[in-house]
Amino acid sequence: MTATVVAVAALVAAAAVLLWARRRVAGLEARLAAAAAALESLQHAFSRFAPAEVVEDIIAQGVSHRSVKKDITVLFADLKGFTPLAERLDPDVLVALLNRWVAHMSAAITAHRGHVAKLLGDGLLAHFGALEDNPWHTSDAVDAALAMRAALAELNAALAAEGLPPLAMGVGVHRGTVVAGVIGSAQLVEYGVIGSAVNLAARVEDLTRTHDVDILVTDAVRAALDRRFTLRPMPPTPVRGMSAPLATFVLA
Amino acid sequence: MSGMAAPSPASPADGEWAECLVPPTDPPPDLEQEIRRVVGRNTVFGPRLAHAPWVARAEVRLIDGPFAYLPRALRERIALVVAQDNSCRYCYGVQRALLRIGGHSEADVDRMVRDSHLTSLPPAERAAVDWARRIARASPRPTASDFRALLATGLDRRVALEVAALAAFASFMNRVATLIALPMEALVTLPTSPVFRVVRPLLAWSLKWRRKSPLPPPRPNDGPCARLVAELGDSPTAHVLRSMVDEACASPILPKRTKALVMAVVARALWCAYGEAEARAMLAAEGFGAADADEVLATLASPRLDAREARLVPFARETVRYQAGMVQTRIRAVCRDMTPAEAVELVGIVALANATCRLSAILPDP
Repeated sequence: MTATVVAVAALVAAAAVLLWARRRVAGLEARLAAAAAALESLQHAFSRFAPAEVVEDIIAQGVSHRSVKKDITVLFADLKGFTPLAERLDPDVLVALLNRWVAHMSAAITAHRGHVAKLLGDGLLAHFGALEDNPWHTSDAVDAALAMRAALAELNAALAAEGLPPLAMGVGVHRGTVVAGVIGSAQLVEYGVIGSAVNLAARVEDLTRTHDVDILVTDAVRAALDRRFTLRPMPPTPVRGMSAPLATFVLA
Repeated sequence: MSGMAAPSPASPADGEWAECLVPPTDPPPDLEQEIRRVVGRNTVFGPRLAHAPWVARAEVRLIDGPFAYLPRALRERIALVVAQDNSCRYCYGVQRALLRIGGHSEADVDRMVRDSHLTSLPPAERAAVDWARRIARASPRPTASDFRALLATGLDRRVALEVAALAAFASFMNRVATLIALPMEALVTLPTSPVFRVVRPLLAWSLKWRRKSPLPPPRPNDGPCARLVAELGDSPTAHVLRSMVDEACASPILPKRTKALVMAVVARALWCAYGEAEARAMLAAEGFGAADADEVLATLASPRLDAREARLVPFARETVRYQAGMVQTRIRAVCRDMTPAEAVELVGIVALANATCRLSAILPDP
């Protein structure tokens, strides 16, 4: 009788331990599944900012220091006359206006396989061919610039209907070699592109004010384009950081 | 996909999916028989892809699992992970259903997906899954040195070749399903049926995958992609690839020149010198010289292209990396004046080009 009681008690205890262990494992599995789902969502979200391989590198090993030299096309866009506008308009209206412009331009850029890398106050920097290999990054960038022009016209028509002032912009496009990689420290990091090609694209955008046009491209861009695009040469102009005047072309 | 309007959803089951691009049609009797022999039931893909019979036949042969060295569990895992990476709702749904029919629980399947992303796999399996994902993503396209590095991990060369073939073939199937926007197969909802537990064992027996035997390399092997076929050695995948390429080239639905142009663009988008050389050889045979090919590949345009080619050539690059919803909208515009047969053949050709260029990673450096 005593042996039977002991045996039954042992069985009950074993069953209780098994049940506890199963519940614990189930709990751990649920937490692991939730963590994995969160990680996957994060990876998908981050794929907008960096190539998938870079994101996986960062997850596996911390900040990735993988960088590559790449031939890409850089596009700078900037709103003209935005500072006087900022002084006239209510801050909420101003920011809403800027956001609408950013949304329209971003849509035009991403529709042509570009990536908006940075918002720079009333401007933006985009690149083509950095996140993914793209043999046609230059024509994509120029197609994007044309789409941005059309998108701005559409936006201005809407603004006019709302009694708001029209926007004007300058776009500069240049093709060259950059270093693309994860830049920063543990506290602040981004996937970026650096090099003289980036600086030159910014100078070209600046020149849209000098030449009073909306879209300018460099000779490096012109050389990579086909006959679909109509370009008109502008007078070579001295720019900061360059020994010779810069030849640019306005996109018709 | 990076650089595009919005990232893909975490699960392909949650993504957008358009109406099917083509209506169903009656498959020819021999194709119908082949589908029934392999799949054993009515399918959604059969009547849709039958407009271009070689595409339907390719699907059937791939479903039949032409692998002699690839372990079943690894094959199932890779098919699932690649379908997820390619955001193919159709293939992902079918693969999950097949795993459920095979006896895996829903939790098992979720764990399989999760373990493929985390590191909790044995090293050789981890290497194989990572290699398959790199082949499928092709961002950038893996090269011969990557294949050598994979073999250096100790993975059997014959298994590594079949892993690459599976990833490439899965990319073919994912693209066919996505670009056509194939409606979901009935078997995808079967695991939720009240009778599933009863019918599962019978279904599992009827769908039981048996490893194929190694085969002598296909003869003759002198058409396009002969080097690639030869590199697959005695794997049955060599025969499947040979027949896919031969039937695609011989199909009279689209002109050979149009097919070669589209294949050349896909090869250029993937920076696949081998694929581009093969396509250029096909173009040369159609009287489309090197200078003309240079112009098309540099600019995706040329006065030598006819009106349809002028639409298809720039579209071909959009099949390399895409978001399902966007590419399904785009292909409708591109195929607006095309017959269902022409549309299905176009899809088959771009899918085949994507597959062969990805698979070319197994070729040694020239």
